[in-house]
Amino acid sequence: MRLYAPADTPAVLADLLAEPSIARGVVHHAVLPARDAIHGEFPDWLDPRIVRGLAGRGIERPYIHQAEALSAVHAGEDIVVVTPTASGKSLCYTLPILQAIVDDPASRALLLFPTKALGQDQVTEFASLAVAAGIPVSASTYDGDTPAPIRSAVRSAGQVVVTNPDMLHAAILPHHTKWFQLFEQLKVIVIDELHSYRGVFGGHVANVLRRLLRICAHYGSHPVIVCCSATIGNPAELAAGLTGRPSRLIDRTGAPAGERHVLLVDPPLLDPATGARGSAVTLAQRWALPFLRAGRQTIVFGRSRVAVELLLTGLRESLREGLGPRTRLRGYRGGYLPTERRAIERGLRDGEILGVVATNALELGVDIGRLDASIVAGYPGSVAATWQQFGRAGRRQGVSVAVLIASSAPVDQYVVHHPEFLLEGSPEQARVDPDNLHVLLAHLRAAAFELPFAPGDRFGNIETDDLLAFLAEDGQVRQAGDGRWYWSSENFPASAVSLRTAAQENVVIIDTTPDRPRVIGEVDLFAAQTLVHEDAIYLHESVQFHVDRLDWDERKAYVRRVDVDHYTQADRAVTLKPLDVFADAPSPGGRRCHGEVMVASLATIYKKLKFVTNENLGWGRIHLPEIELQTTAYWLTAEGVRDRWRRHELDIALLGSGRAIQTVASVLLMVDPRDLGLVTQVRSPHAEEPTIYLYESVPGGIGLSERLWERHDDLIAAASDLIRSCGCDAGCPACTGPRLEPEIDARVLSLRLLDELGASRTMSGRGPTAAPP
Amino acid sequence: MIDQQELHARRLARYRTAIGSPAATAPVRPAPFRLDAPPSDSGTSLADRLASAVGGDVRRSAAGSVVWYETAPRPLPVDRERLAALPGQPTRDVPLLCLDTETTGLATAAGTVAFLVGVGWWVGDAFHQVQLLVPDHADEPAMLAALAELITPDCWLVTYNGRAFDWPLLVARYRLHGSAAPVHGGHLDLLPVVRRLFRHRMTDARLRTAERYLLGLRRHGDVDGWEIPGRYLDFLRGASAGPLVDVVRHNDQDVRSLGQLLGHLGRGLGDRTTWPAAHPGDLAGLARAFSRQGDLADALDCLDIASELPVPPSPVDPLRMPPESDWWSPRVRPDYGARVTDRERPPRPDPAGPWTTERIAIERARLQRRAGDLAAAARSWASLMDQPGRTSIVAAIELAKLHEHHLRDLPGALRIATTGLGNADRRRRIGRPEPALERDLRRRSDRIRRRLARTAQPSVSPPSR
Repeated sequence: MRLYAPADTPAVLADLLAEPSIARGVVHHAVLPARDAIHGEFPDWLDPRIVRGLAGRGIERPYIHQAEALSAVHAGEDIVVVTPTASGKSLCYTLPILQAIVDDPASRALLLFPTKALGQDQVTEFASLAVAAGIPVSASTYDGDTPAPIRSAVRSAGQVVVTNPDMLHAAILPHHTKWFQLFEQLKVIVIDELHSYRGVFGGHVANVLRRLLRICAHYGSHPVIVCCSATIGNPAELAAGLTGRPSRLIDRTGAPAGERHVLLVDPPLLDPATGARGSAVTLAQRWALPFLRAGRQTIVFGRSRVAVELLLTGLRESLREGLGPRTRLRGYRGGYLPTERRAIERGLRDGEILGVVATNALELGVDIGRLDASIVAGYPGSVAATWQQFGRAGRRQGVSVAVLIASSAPVDQYVVHHPEFLLEGSPEQARVDPDNLHVLLAHLRAAAFELPFAPGDRFGNIETDDLLAFLAEDGQVRQAGDGRWYWSSENFPASAVSLRTAAQENVVIIDTTPDRPRVIGEVDLFAAQTLVHEDAIYLHESVQFHVDRLDWDERKAYVRRVDVDHYTQADRAVTLKPLDVFADAPSPGGRRCHGEVMVASLATIYKKLKFVTNENLGWGRIHLPEIELQTTAYWLTAEGVRDRWRRHELDIALLGSGRAIQTVASVLLMVDPRDLGLVTQVRSPHAEEPTIYLYESVPGGIGLSERLWERHDDLIAAASDLIRSCGCDAGCPACTGPRLEPEIDARVLSLRLLDELGASRTMSGRGPTAAPP
Repeated sequence: MIDQQELHARRLARYRTAIGSPAATAPVRPAPFRLDAPPSDSGTSLADRLASAVGGDVRRSAAGSVVWYETAPRPLPVDRERLAALPGQPTRDVPLLCLDTETTGLATAAGTVAFLVGVGWWVGDAFHQVQLLVPDHADEPAMLAALAELITPDCWLVTYNGRAFDWPLLVARYRLHGSAAPVHGGHLDLLPVVRRLFRHRMTDARLRTAERYLLGLRRHGDVDGWEIPGRYLDFLRGASAGPLVDVVRHNDQDVRSLGQLLGHLGRGLGDRTTWPAAHPGDLAGLARAFSRQGDLADALDCLDIASELPVPPSPVDPLRMPPESDWWSPRVRPDYGARVTDRERPPRPDPAGPWTTERIAIERARLQRRAGDLAAAARSWASLMDQPGRTSIVAAIELAKLHEHHLRDLPGALRIATTGLGNADRRRRIGRPEPALERDLRRRSDRIRRRLARTAQPSVSPPSR
């Protein structure tokens, strides 16, 4: 017997909101009005075959952003396209490339995607459009999976080469002489998923692009660069940082959208003293069930594989026999093969599949964008990622629903309680610092290997002479009789650099589960202390691994795949010493600085915390040597407060405000909270004043601290706001951090300190606003 | 705000401290040599120093200097007629140019320079050798130009692993300097030839090993391949050119060995009258080479002779091999088409396995079948069915195939398949199961039974589905 009946999306939503226990959790309900399509015209120089091919696929006229991109690329202008998910972004580069090939079949294009899977999808996409237009185009991927015979064919004849930055770095650029046909005729470079190139990875990719453009110049080509990004606060700046060239921003979308309801949900506070909240996973099930029973296509995102497992089992259980379409629910985790992904896409398109429960892995690389409801259990870490997940729901006509359910993590709490943060223009800014010396020198070596440097040559915007002279000191390059700098070592510099870490000395992580163990990743030493110490649970692509043994001297961590319900969190004892001040300015109640610091870090203990509830299950000691990290930091000092405060209260206030600043900083800068370390000193040896430091955990820093320094006022205001709006009574892990001394009110003390630092002056009852572009 | 340049200098200074660079202690680095003042090398140029060390002379041109080192021609006869009779070899009147490079690294990527190219060619029976050395990075175009003059459009290159390494590297060098590599008529890479013919009785397939096993040549005081880049790079950085003398001698011998290997091939296997005295494994390899280019008759000749000869034991005992290396080490050099270093390597058996009388017989039976001589193939397989172990099962399958499909002898095929199954069964009982072969035989015999049943009642049409 069937106990459920189809219903339309607004009706389901209305029913849900009529239920008081559900409605109580909704902290914000926004309705984004429907948007009509804005069309442009195909330019008359566009080959009629392409126009016909598009018409055959139901595209009579381009959206305005597509038309704009088309003419900009045609005019040789670099562009960065920022439009929502499923708005036909890829046509912005496929059309100009096709046209370039029609104009001159010798033309080549290079497409960069952050992952292999995305690249493979794009080749299929490209090929089908080319077939529809009846234009013969050879488009192929070139990645680690490409078999050797095909590789040489791609090198010599591939008109559209789709690859990833790692492959470009290690396999294409060092072998540019084998790719001369590509580099001589390169017309378009596409960098899709631009927003994923930030932090260390972004710094590396920016340098890889410097090398790429240098080689293009050597072969005499001047390609146009097309970047595509999800919505972030500073796409044009990010594109300029990555490519080193200014580009035109195209952010007016012409794609139509139906009405969309965005709901921000906070699970009920269970204990005001600890800040414990109801589980986001459980609440996500309650939200998803009515949609599924009503026959509405729904996607549910969990943050980890375990969360997905819980959601899937929970939902299937609730939908059992007669209570819902149990069999039409699918799970999706990282590591799925393309065919499996295709099956899910197809199932969703023809309605065979009603619901999908996915990890973030689905955020990229699956072509789903027309569902009725998207329910996100836990803030995915950035506004851009949230909108990508929201964007999976969005009918061209009709109503769709997107729900974000917060966990009790501080960042989640901040986001749901500041709806303007998600809804009113994205304030988060992606940063790259291509000039981090560790990264820069690594790529300068690789660049010297690829082509000699003439005196006065620049690498991007960097003058290279001093740096090359530095490399010459240990004989890696040498200046020859003609004055040029040549690579003069038998090593292959690109193979020593991983684009995903900053320092060269890394711990490799070896998975011993399969018969033939394999390397699954690398982490730098600093991160290794807390991520892969013995008995840590290491998460890789949402899969859990237990660290059986860490061979510190050999820099190897041996891990084994496990399925457990907890994760580990390590504490480190840190001392910090400023080395150099890059910038120093007065700020209300003190000073703000950024500069270079030395951080000495010792991993001490780790805690086992249960997934979802974050319940503490036990702890252990970590036995690892202390390591030093030279990096950049942002710090603020409070002047004149030391005389007016009790020392231990000041201590707690510094730590509490520091935690809050750390949280909002990670939100504003789009970084993992772990990438910013916190140190507080009641009396800093440097300024002799109470100081809060936020240091970057990447050796040499990636430019975050400079940005924090610039946004000092926002940080203070937002931190104060975070604490003020927290539902706890006297400080909790979601605002001022775990309570250290139960009888002291960390909340009041931190707010008092932040007020002294100018929070009251800049507070306007609103959260952070976007920095002016 | 802050002077970017100055900030950079400060960061660089601290980076030095962070990585513990030796220059960190000196507050101000004495500029070693800088842009406007290229290294002067106290009067004598690198080219002169190099030339005087190795005893060559400097040839200067607009493209730079190249050190040209020529040795007196020596007699090195090669019977081109006989050589041409071997599969894959150049015809007798094609000019040959033996070529070997010494490089600054193992990757055939853009930063690896061939700093020494040795070539050798014949004028009559006399073998002429020239080595071209690059005295400075900036002089590479001069070497490439000199080399291009030595490579004629009709000549064949003779190399050892040159298809994968030396030639692609040179092509890359030419392209880097904006020109195309010189045209040549063909490329004879001796590495695959040696692998196919002689690897089975060698500990590995390096040129030096081939010299030892095939030419009876042992090098003394030879420089190891892995040392070579370092010696050259040290010279570029200002050290003496003395250590490069050994490198020149090493390359000289490499090039000559290529010529000698060709002589060996022509004298040995090129001469059919010597076949009965050859190692049967060599002949089996030669048969493969013949059959690869479709010359089945010659291949069968080789195998006919080989199958009459006793097989000497292999020099490499697979059971005493050290275990595999640290395959998990993430620092294992990725395969960029590079050569492996010559550092002490344990001997490794031929990955294809040693030739045995049985393997040769199987090879022969297969070839007879390919050549269409079904009766001979059937005889060969039938005699192999008496062999112990796996061979008998393989032979049963092949013989059953022949009987079923070609000789149209279904009862015979069934009998053979059943015998094969019996053998497989016996092997399984002694703990040596052959699941794939067994499955094949079972399927085969079932099918034959069905066909037999059908032919027994030809009037009954199968029921329609």
